Amino acid sequence: MNTGFQVLRWLGRTLAIILLVILGSTILVRFAPGYLSDAREMDSRYAAEARSELAAEAAHSHSIPQMLAEEVGGWIRGNFGNSRQFDVPVAELIEPRLAVSGGLLLRGIGLAWLAALSAALISSAGRNPSLLWRTPATVLLAIPTAALATFCLLANSGGPVLVMALLLAARDFKFLDHALRKAWLEPHILQARAQGIGTFRLLVVHIGPALIPQLGALASLSIVTALSALVPVEVLFNVPGLGELAWNAALNRDLPVLLAVMVLMALAVSCSGIAAPGLADWERA
Amino acid sequence: MNLPRRILMAVAALSPILSATLSTAQAAPRLPGQLVWTIGYDPRTFDPAKVDDEESETVRYLTAGVLLRLNRLTQKVEPELAQDWTLSADGKTLTFTLRPGLEFSDGSRLTARDVVWSLRRVLLLGKEAPVSEEFVSPAGVTVDAPNEKTVVVHLPKRVIAIDKVFDEIAIEPADRPSEARVTSGPFFLSGYRRSQYVVLQRNPHYFARDAAGKNLPYASGIRLDILESMEQQIRLLLRGDYDLIDSIPPDYFELLRKRDPGMVSDLGPSLNTEQMWFNQAPSSPLPAWEKAWFQSRAFRVAVSQAIHRSDLARIAYLGHATPAYSFISPANALWYNRSLTAPHTDVSAAKAALAAAGFHLNGSVLLDAAGHPVKFSILTNTGNAAREKMATLIQQDLAALGMQVTVVTLDFPALIERLMQTQDYEACLLGLENVDPEPNAMMNIWLSSSPNHQWNPSEKTPATPWEAEIDRLVHQQAASSVYAERKKAIDRVQQIVADEEPFIYLVYPNALVAVSPKLQGVQPAVLEPHLTWNVEQLRWQGAR
Amino acid sequence: MRIRRPVLWLLTALIVAASAALWRPGAGYARQDRNATLAAASVSHPAGTDALGRDRLVRVAVAFLLSLAGAVAASALTTAAAAGVGTLAAFGRASMGWIAMLICDVFLALPWMFLLMMVRSALPLTTSPANSAAITFLVLAALGWPASARAVYRGAQQLRTSDWMLHARSTGLGRAGVVRHVIPNLFPLLVPQFLISIPAFVMAEANLGALGLGVGEPLPSWGGMLFELNNSPMLMQTHWVYFPVILLVLVLLLLEGVAAEA
Repeated sequence: MNTGFQVLRWLGRTLAIILLVILGSTILVRFAPGYLSDAREMDSRYAAEARSELAAEAAHSHSIPQMLAEEVGGWIRGNFGNSRQFDVPVAELIEPRLAVSGGLLLRGIGLAWLAALSAALISSAGRNPSLLWRTPATVLLAIPTAALATFCLLANSGGPVLVMALLLAARDFKFLDHALRKAWLEPHILQARAQGIGTFRLLVVHIGPALIPQLGALASLSIVTALSALVPVEVLFNVPGLGELAWNAALNRDLPVLLAVMVLMALAVSCSGIAAPGLADWERA
Repeated sequence: MNLPRRILMAVAALSPILSATLSTAQAAPRLPGQLVWTIGYDPRTFDPAKVDDEESETVRYLTAGVLLRLNRLTQKVEPELAQDWTLSADGKTLTFTLRPGLEFSDGSRLTARDVVWSLRRVLLLGKEAPVSEEFVSPAGVTVDAPNEKTVVVHLPKRVIAIDKVFDEIAIEPADRPSEARVTSGPFFLSGYRRSQYVVLQRNPHYFARDAAGKNLPYASGIRLDILESMEQQIRLLLRGDYDLIDSIPPDYFELLRKRDPGMVSDLGPSLNTEQMWFNQAPSSPLPAWEKAWFQSRAFRVAVSQAIHRSDLARIAYLGHATPAYSFISPANALWYNRSLTAPHTDVSAAKAALAAAGFHLNGSVLLDAAGHPVKFSILTNTGNAAREKMATLIQQDLAALGMQVTVVTLDFPALIERLMQTQDYEACLLGLENVDPEPNAMMNIWLSSSPNHQWNPSEKTPATPWEAEIDRLVHQQAASSVYAERKKAIDRVQQIVADEEPFIYLVYPNALVAVSPKLQGVQPAVLEPHLTWNVEQLRWQGAR
Repeated sequence: MRIRRPVLWLLTALIVAASAALWRPGAGYARQDRNATLAAASVSHPAGTDALGRDRLVRVAVAFLLSLAGAVAASALTTAAAAGVGTLAAFGRASMGWIAMLICDVFLALPWMFLLMMVRSALPLTTSPANSAAITFLVLAALGWPASARAVYRGAQQLRTSDWMLHARSTGLGRAGVVRHVIPNLFPLLVPQFLISIPAFVMAEANLGALGLGVGEPLPSWGGMLFELNNSPMLMQTHWVYFPVILLVLVLLLLEGVAAEA
């Protein structure tokens, strides 16, 4: 298949998603209750100042097309607009946090894959999905992220990377366990085992390569899960990353910051999604 | 089997990586002699004239050199950069005499010219400088310096407690506003990382000395970490990374008390109040019969009598609160009304009052005279566990009267929108923070024309005779300078409020603080900032 | 697809036990025994009481039944919607499929908490907690379909290109016939989606509590009890706070066991 055409199609799709996300989010945030209110209105020391700031905000978020034009203008200029909370260019807020969140995600995903792969390799060797392996995964999926983080803080050990890795490992384990189990039962693998070929060799030479297309889907699943866990983990451990920024922006109705972070996340998901269908095409070609 | 062993060996080989991930987030190590604690969010501005939120105020308090300082412990105004001051008999002229040999943190001299410039700047900034509004009519105020050591401020009209206002105005170098980088206070701003920390450094030229003649402040600097999570704060306080927590919720207070009782302190009732009120605004979108209930004094008093305030203090605040019947807390020694008569808990009296007002019970449901079941909602904000518990306890208390109450928690912006703009709510349960014991500071709530007159904001004319009476008393006390007269007026306002119950006061939450045993010089005060009001005298043990 | 009998019986037993807890005399999920707050386990309160003196066992039972019912209903709605969208997208024109999946991706990226806030503010404030909980689950169901729709779409695409389907269509099988055959064949895909969504909805409801969009007092919610676990004084008070988590783990394991793979 023409790879160039594929890339163009993907770019077009991603752009369409981003534009629709910007439009949808602007409408949702602007019309959700509390956009034009400020807690300082209740404090008589600062109320007058707060009200004049809100009046200014109301003036320039009068209509959706106007807001969108301002937003797109900010994107073209390269600073992604001005933060409503801090009154600085959004790019300035995001830059230092990209590295922090990126590092957290990479380390979390790496550790999770390590743990999940090890567990899945051992577990899939048994005949049936054993309770011994299923239960920890289920427990991890059942405990809310916030509770997991609090346990770590209470126990004074384990940080954001560990919590992220545990959550991802639980999901990835189930996926890998299922995939490996299927792989072990492939006819040619059964044949090889019957002929006495060693497990290690089977894994590296035959099962491994056959799993690679699945890894695309695994990456996609991991990134989506990691991004959704990013906000609670960062907020609870006070990590100065994109998740914490997004959460504060949502609570304070800071639209420019929220849009910038959401577009970045949508891009990340989109990029992770390219691996799966792309590889499937490559296989069929 | 060969395989599991190989895998386990591989995992063991990678265990250094694993152990690295097991360490929890640490706070940065402290510099020698540095004090460390937290603030909840980034200060919006470091320019002391433009302070318009709490954390900017915190930084200003720590860095600004001011003419007069309110001593939070004695609650009296004391000389600071001004060695003395006088107020003329008509209350319109203030004369300050500066101390000799004053300097800024960069070594330059501080003279009357700098004082005049700083005061004029605040007055000219107008709306941008909220503190200027405390002068009532800032445009008419004049500031002059007849000589290098004297500053004269002339006001067009007398202003109540004008001396306290100078506690909030920073004296900066003339023509060189530096956003707290060059100050005349105990510390100056030396570093800031957004969402992470603010770093202050000791001002070596600060005028104050201790009894032994040693230069203050003792500490070499302060680091304020930007951290909201109470979990983290407590953990790091126990580790010794933080020196204090200025305000702790009651459940965390108890947790800390069990771990280390010497660290925590319950300072008794604070100046703050928690109250509930009904929406009496005629312009609200509520049905007419609901407005009639909320505007009925008998209804409000019955609700107040049905609430078990001692249960609220005991259960929602774990005992760290005091039942409240008025807006002035017992911590406010000067203005507390000891002879206030207010309706205490009396469920049968409440039922009788409702019956007399035309309400009647149909089974277990209360109906009004027209047959509408008494159903309403109490609105409160998320994130405050004590308030949510109070709302649920009140829900149960009012069920004894036959009222059906729903508790609705909203996030703050959505809540404020309903309170201040759409008026689309029935009852609300919130707290009020009072930083200043001076009742005149609270008057924005009692004036019927004010937008902060919560139960019926921005009235064109007072809606009821008692609100008109309150307006009259507020103006009366603002115009008087005699304490006895003012106290009488404020006492009368409190009595009217207790009789009419526009605000149903619930509790005064206690001031709960925690201090690391390594921090010396702390004298906790019930006024804010509880622990750092004398920051120049605080020092970390072991530092010389 | 076999359904494991013992597991189904265990799940039913759990539901019956919860219902039985409600029939105890004097059991009321809202009754506050103000002199016995945070009490230890006793005869009258087998699992102790919470911070407001309410019996924990009754509250957990009510929370379990209500949240389970809500999550199951929402899950069923979501899976049905996903099945419909996925199938239509796969069997329609290629462009329709492309647009449908684009809409799914946009849906997944939007900040829906603001929509939930809008729905909440549109409801009258005196809506009873039960009604507002039902509406919350309904809205969550309406927002949950894109997650499953993608997987259904891929599965339906595979079916469309499978040998027997090509054979059937070439011998004149009409659209109605196609649908009649496709849906049952999608069951191995739909049932796990349905089962996975149930705990996901319970947790989603928990997270909403942080924004004030959860179930109102005094009605207990499973999600609300799970949410309480992020408060360390709570965790230190009593071990009974772990009860809802253990219950959730149990239910999750049982749900997984209900449908064993072939």
